[in-house]
Amino acid sequence: MNIINFLRNAFAGRKLATVGFIWLCFILLAAIFAPLIAPFDPLEIDPVGRLAEPGLPNLFGTDHFGRDTFSRAIYGARMTVIIGVGSVVVALVCGGLIGMLSAYFTRLGHFLMRGVDVLMAFPALLMALVLITLLERSVFNTILVIGIVYATTTARILYGMTLKLKGEVFVDAAVCSGAGHSSILFRHILPNLVSPLLVQASFIFAFAQLQAAALDFLGLGLPPEVPSWGNMLSEERIYVTRAPWLLIYPGLLIVLSVFSMNLVGDALRDSIDPRFKDDIAGV
Amino acid sequence: MSDPLLRLVGLHTHFQTKGSGLFGKKKVIKAVNGVSFDIAPGEVLSLVGESGCGKSTVGRTLTHLEKATSGQAFFEGNDFLALTPSEFRPLRRDIQMIFQDPFASLNPRLKIEQTLAEPLFIHGLCKTWDEARVQIAATLELVGLDPKVMARHPHEFSGGQRQRIGIARVMILKPKLVIADEAVSALDVSIQAQVLNLIKKLQRDSGVSMLFISHDLGVVRHISDRVAVMFEGQIVEIGDKTQIFEAPQHEYTRKLLGSIPRISLGREVA
Amino acid sequence: MALLEVENLHIAVGSGGKLLPVVQGVSFCVDENETLGIVGESGCGKSLTSLAIMGLLGDSTVRITGGSIRFDGMDLLTLSAPERRAIMGNRMAMIFQEPMTSLNPVYRIGDQIAESIRQHQQISRSAARDRAVELLTLVRIPNPSERVDSFPHQMSGGQRQRVMIAMALSCDPKLLIADEPTTALDVTVQKEVLELMADLQDRMGTAIVLISHDLGVIAETCDKVAVMYRGKIAEAAATADLFAELAHPYTRGLLNSIPVVDRDVEWLEAIPGRVPTLEETLTGCAFHPRCALATDFCASRAPETSQFKPNHSVQCHFAGGSTT
Repeated sequence: MNIINFLRNAFAGRKLATVGFIWLCFILLAAIFAPLIAPFDPLEIDPVGRLAEPGLPNLFGTDHFGRDTFSRAIYGARMTVIIGVGSVVVALVCGGLIGMLSAYFTRLGHFLMRGVDVLMAFPALLMALVLITLLERSVFNTILVIGIVYATTTARILYGMTLKLKGEVFVDAAVCSGAGHSSILFRHILPNLVSPLLVQASFIFAFAQLQAAALDFLGLGLPPEVPSWGNMLSEERIYVTRAPWLLIYPGLLIVLSVFSMNLVGDALRDSIDPRFKDDIAGV
Repeated sequence: MSDPLLRLVGLHTHFQTKGSGLFGKKKVIKAVNGVSFDIAPGEVLSLVGESGCGKSTVGRTLTHLEKATSGQAFFEGNDFLALTPSEFRPLRRDIQMIFQDPFASLNPRLKIEQTLAEPLFIHGLCKTWDEARVQIAATLELVGLDPKVMARHPHEFSGGQRQRIGIARVMILKPKLVIADEAVSALDVSIQAQVLNLIKKLQRDSGVSMLFISHDLGVVRHISDRVAVMFEGQIVEIGDKTQIFEAPQHEYTRKLLGSIPRISLGREVA
Repeated sequence: MALLEVENLHIAVGSGGKLLPVVQGVSFCVDENETLGIVGESGCGKSLTSLAIMGLLGDSTVRITGGSIRFDGMDLLTLSAPERRAIMGNRMAMIFQEPMTSLNPVYRIGDQIAESIRQHQQISRSAARDRAVELLTLVRIPNPSERVDSFPHQMSGGQRQRVMIAMALSCDPKLLIADEPTTALDVTVQKEVLELMADLQDRMGTAIVLISHDLGVIAETCDKVAVMYRGKIAEAAATADLFAELAHPYTRGLLNSIPVVDRDVEWLEAIPGRVPTLEETLTGCAFHPRCALATDFCASRAPETSQFKPNHSVQCHFAGGSTT
């Protein structure tokens, strides 16, 4: 099954999810071409033009440093994509490996999965807070922390799915052909996990946004000078009555993006292998 | 009679089940409880019995898919039950298995050629894809499929065709012993007859030995030289096909034979 | 008039906007105290036919597109949902292939039987329970007064199928539809269940429609047989008449495909090819690509139902012709 057909099937007859998908494509384009689209440098301070109302030339107005909110929002999309993709990669690689290996090597699994269970006992945000206080504020560390938080749920989910696949007859058949462990894990089991992993990725992407925004808002996420939607909310929150647009635009962007990602995730989930539907219950 | 290809002596395969309740005692299920038989080169031995009698477990134990509890199994004189997975791997080429469910036994993500090439590469029977494709094409023709199908995925095939592919995966290694676990049970009658004829023909032509596991006495009579009847983990009767079907000794064999619905015809079928 | 009359039934499956015919003009009737066997391979439409009779084609992708089903004088296809419910499980009952999935695992079997009785009859809980014990005795479950409190997982496959039969018989139905009732069971258990069904029919006069892929089961238990192939009845007759002289080449092929236990056959005479899928459109007779007797005529014109012998109908241009 190729990707285009898969997407076409997933979105057929789902208008809202299609709109969400298109919105996400816009965000992605904005992130890639941010320097071309943004009319101003997002870090350029203009003490004269502070807290300007939305209009021309500042579409979304300016913040209390006189920085152009529209340009910062465009560059914020870039941070959104970087944080999202980064956390998804960390979560899927760490969680995926732990889950798959635990299911395949049962003895190792008893050990690893108990560890995962312990980590899962902490609320996601609390765990992120604990981890982040141990580290410096940086883009990389934010990605790492959010990735580790969602690696636990990914490990649980992949553990269950790998156990199911391990019992499939075609795995027995591969064993009888003489296939070794790595061949069975990566040639026979992993390719069958691709579509559920894709769905899982879309949910992690959405929740990573919320998590990152929350960390930013608490002043524990990205360094304050980095233009991200969470930072914009955090910095401008005291101007909510004087310049509400400073919070409305980034807030709307976060809400719309997370909502879109959830819609896309739902659409993908409904179109994958029915065997795995029960396993993916959101993050 | 020549030396047996496979000699099974006192095979036991037991499973532990979780006890009921929080502190329930673990129970031991004796799926295979002391089974012994020989298979001569070129011979087809059938294991027949009802569900839960342990016949499939015998096959799965012989291919190391289950761990034997005790007993010995000699293949060409060497005991292979206690071998480690890596020691057993070279032997897998000689001991192959055909599975029941043609829809589950092929990896849906792999093309037919990938599925069929895997055993060739693992056992070093060919080095390049070109060599592999030649062998795959020949084997597909052997099982009655167009070699062109090798570029397709399993979901494009019917149950009967998939079972032919499963047979091709086994025959491509030119094994000495094939274990067929309910190989035709999932197929419709008209397709079952085709596949059964194919298995019989391949067995005759290649002279491979076979352990044919089935619950269907008609199928067993059609394919085997000798028959072993299993009941509750043990063989209650073993003998030549004609003896088992024409003059069954054990009460359970007679009960099995008597339970089969029969068609009485007004005239002989052409 | 017969108890159940199915006439010219058409069922289609909707797929991608177009309707693919699955059952094409099936007609048969069953009388009281009579067993009709419908035999065919997977995809021939036999199970859909039975579900149509029970009104269980709830799925919007499967639709009845024509024909009528008359039960005891009523046209089932025009009844309202509540009217149908009053008949289902009461005067018409069904048993399915997989006895484990059709019983609710969290309720005791006695409660499940009692529940199905109380849906149709105004009797007290204790009376319903007594009736459940009575029914379990009827289907020969040992120690019925104790087993009535068992859960489904505590019983064997054969016992569960007996419980299903007990449940189906709880309201003395006039018609029992059994869809592959013994396919999941071992031969020895199958024999007992089939004997039980025949015995109960003798006592209660129930009409039975038995659906199976196993020609042997059909031959041993049914009064008449309908052989289905790709949505049509290829051949239908009283069991003895049918096996006395097989008229349709498909029936002969099916019979020759079965490896028998009573004699040695060197090679089975298999029917070549496979059943065409729903998407493949065929002109003429649906069996012609696999048929040894087929001519160009078979490929261009579909045969009508004709009388081969009295009460022995067949859809073939060369009915009774030899395959050799």
